[in-house]
Amino acid sequence: MITPGSKYFFGLTGLSLIAAILYMVLVNPNDLGAVALFGLATSGALIGVMALFTRDGDVYTDEEAVAANAVAGPPSFWPIVFALGAALVLTGLATVSVVFILGIAVLIGGGVEWTIHNWADGASSDREFNEFARARAISAIEYPGLAAVGLGVIAFFFSRVVLAVSKESGPIIFIAVAAVIFTIGVLIASKPFMKGAVTVVVAVFAVVALAGAGTFAALSGERHELAAAAEEDHYDASHRECGGEESKHYDHLANNTVSLRSAVTATIFVKDGKVYAEAIGMTKKVDTITIPRSNATSVMFRNLDEEQHRLVVNLGSAKVAETGVVEKVGTCSQLTGKNQEQVMTLRIPKPALAGEPYSFTVPGATGEIKLVVP
Amino acid sequence: MDSVNNVKSSSHRIRNSIATIIGFVVLAGCATNAPQDTWQPKGDNAQIINNLQWIVFPMAGVVGVLVLGFYAYTIYKYNDRGQPIPSQSHGKPIVEIILTIIPALILTVVGVFTFRGIFELANTEDTEMVINVTGQQWWWEYDYPAQDEQGITQPIISSGQLVIPVGTKVLLRETSRDVIHSYWIPALNGKKDAVPGRINLLRLQADKPGIFAGQCTEFCGLSHANMRMEAIALSQEDFAKWVANQQKAYTAPATGSLAKEGESVFLNQCIRCHQVNGLKKADGTPALAAPDENVYSGAAPNLSHLMSRITFAGAKFDLLNKSCRSDVWDASSETIGGKYLAGVSESCLNATHLRAWLRNAPAMKPMYADPAKLASSGGKYRGMPNLGLTETDIDKLVAYLLTLK
Ligand code: HEC
Ligand SMILES: [Cu+2]
Repeated sequence: MITPGSKYFFGLTGLSLIAAILYMVLVNPNDLGAVALFGLATSGALIGVMALFTRDGDVYTDEEAVAANAVAGPPSFWPIVFALGAALVLTGLATVSVVFILGIAVLIGGGVEWTIHNWADGASSDREFNEFARARAISAIEYPGLAAVGLGVIAFFFSRVVLAVSKESGPIIFIAVAAVIFTIGVLIASKPFMKGAVTVVVAVFAVVALAGAGTFAALSGERHELAAAAEEDHYDASHRECGGEESKHYDHLANNTVSLRSAVTATIFVKDGKVYAEAIGMTKKVDTITIPRSNATSVMFRNLDEEQHRLVVNLGSAKVAETGVVEKVGTCSQLTGKNQEQVMTLRIPKPALAGEPYSFTVPGATGEIKLVVP
Repeated sequence: MDSVNNVKSSSHRIRNSIATIIGFVVLAGCATNAPQDTWQPKGDNAQIINNLQWIVFPMAGVVGVLVLGFYAYTIYKYNDRGQPIPSQSHGKPIVEIILTIIPALILTVVGVFTFRGIFELANTEDTEMVINVTGQQWWWEYDYPAQDEQGITQPIISSGQLVIPVGTKVLLRETSRDVIHSYWIPALNGKKDAVPGRINLLRLQADKPGIFAGQCTEFCGLSHANMRMEAIALSQEDFAKWVANQQKAYTAPATGSLAKEGESVFLNQCIRCHQVNGLKKADGTPALAAPDENVYSGAAPNLSHLMSRITFAGAKFDLLNKSCRSDVWDASSETIGGKYLAGVSESCLNATHLRAWLRNAPAMKPMYADPAKLASSGGKYRGMPNLGLTETDIDKLVAYLLTLK
């Protein structure tokens, strides 16, 4: 007997085989897509054979299974959910991608629920047992799924609140809310009679409060500085500033601490108005930093002075193609405050010309670090 | 009777062949010409690793023999010969405790020595010299930042052969321009990956002058197997001479010479990838290579002092012909420095391989250098392409390259 489970996988095999052939004919025979579809077909066939061989993992012998199949379970509403998912996917394809993603989620959720429901219906001829089997199988998926959605919702709304309140009150709110949650948790755990209805009321109240606060915060906008920083687009071409000038918002607001996945080759410091540098692996301070040609290399700048400073790299000069005017080449970091740092990543394809050596300088501080590209 | 004899002789045969196999395995470990043998350290760092091996391997060997012996004994002893199944029991705390404690002790000992070794190898505090090592498909670039203590007043750039002074704690700052490579000179230290965007540190120190072979040990594409390198340890005096030579300014070949014609072929064909420091274009302006526009990794070997090295193309080919080669490679540690510093002269040049390289590099070393297949690398070559040079051009180029000492 071909079991229902294996039928499903054989169906998948057939479908993906057809899809693979169509793909090869219509799209591109040498493409990874065809390989993937053939892979799907093969793995479908493999699982199908396994399912057939193990009788879908059903421990019941044929007669029992027939008896179990004879009782119809209660009608299921999951097919409707599944259909809704399909509708959302189609709508999403035509309209906004959020709807499409939502549709996929509903499709997967509904599909899983439907499959398990169906499977449980055929588990035995005992309806109650079938219901029990379904609950057991599905809760392993439902609980983590719902928890993930719940956490996502909480995180989303809470982050809106934190973005809207001031930098100082953010942590306080965070701590206060955490303390309240903790207290309620302890209460519920230690006072068993509080469980049930009370818990539900508390939870619903909390979620409504959070959603309300989050929505309100989202509508009233992010806190002043963040909004201002977003407004002042530092990377805009018209916004070049490599001199002594100060920025209105952005430079003050950057938190100026750096975590990098790439290693920095050297760190340039400003202390007491003087520039000096240390390089990885070098035991003494260096006055020259050597970096390989055309290879992205990062250099760190750390300001140890009270005044704000920025690191400037001078890369000679070049003719601007359109105008023919010779202009200085170089770039700079943002302004950094005391004990703060910035990273500059350089990829320099050519060595400096004899008359125009490359160098790092810091406006407002004395000294320079030579930059050599051999 | 017959059958008994048969059994005996076949068990003899098995025993003999096992003995032979073991014998071969043991003998294979005795190869004398094994330049990449990790059991023959030629410097402090490799010695640290070797000391550790001498602790860990014997211990692992004893454990292995004991466990396998016990296993074989059990198989033999409890082989099913129709005897009744012995009584079955579950667990025996005392055995379990002993069998937990013994491995724990063994691992503690191994762990202590291993960690000590790791920390010793990671020490960079007493570095005496720094060299940047950059890997790319399929060769290594070395650049020596200016370091007054070592007499390096101008940065030096080279490829394939790493030259270091003996008895000096050299620190390699490794990185990569394309994929992950790994730098390994077994006689001087263990492996260290060269990872794009990172700088990994590896210490080398050689006790005596010599040439130490190594190879890239992180699979890095088509010619990974051909990505070799050598470390050349020179005495302090010889190293100073080497440095002086590397910092020597460019001397253009004499006008009218074959080499001078080679220089202009070079300016036409090669400068777009290869830098020769000090080389000037016909109009007198400096000739700057643009490997970033032509090679996927963004680099090609700097040829300023090509003939001061004795191998090329990822240390895959010799620049010296057979007899000159063995003269250097087989030299004693006292004489090797002077011989290495002599570089490559016209009479010693391995012209066959160099000419073959210029004629059709990808035929010598597999590289993605087929102009028709550059879609995946944005139109840039991985490696050196076939430039379709004529034999006369090659004559001129060889004459020119010989001047780059
Ligand atoms: C498209 C770029 C390109 C051009 C043009 C080019 N090369 Fe190369 N060349 C390379 C690359 C890349 C390598 C490194 C190959 C390897 O070892 O894997 C190389 C290696 C070499 C080497 C070995 C260097 C060493 O230190 O190992 C020599 C010698 C050489 N090229 C000579 C020439 C000459 C002479 C010309 C001009 C006729 C030329 N090349 C043109 C890219 C180029
Ligand atoms: Cu490699």
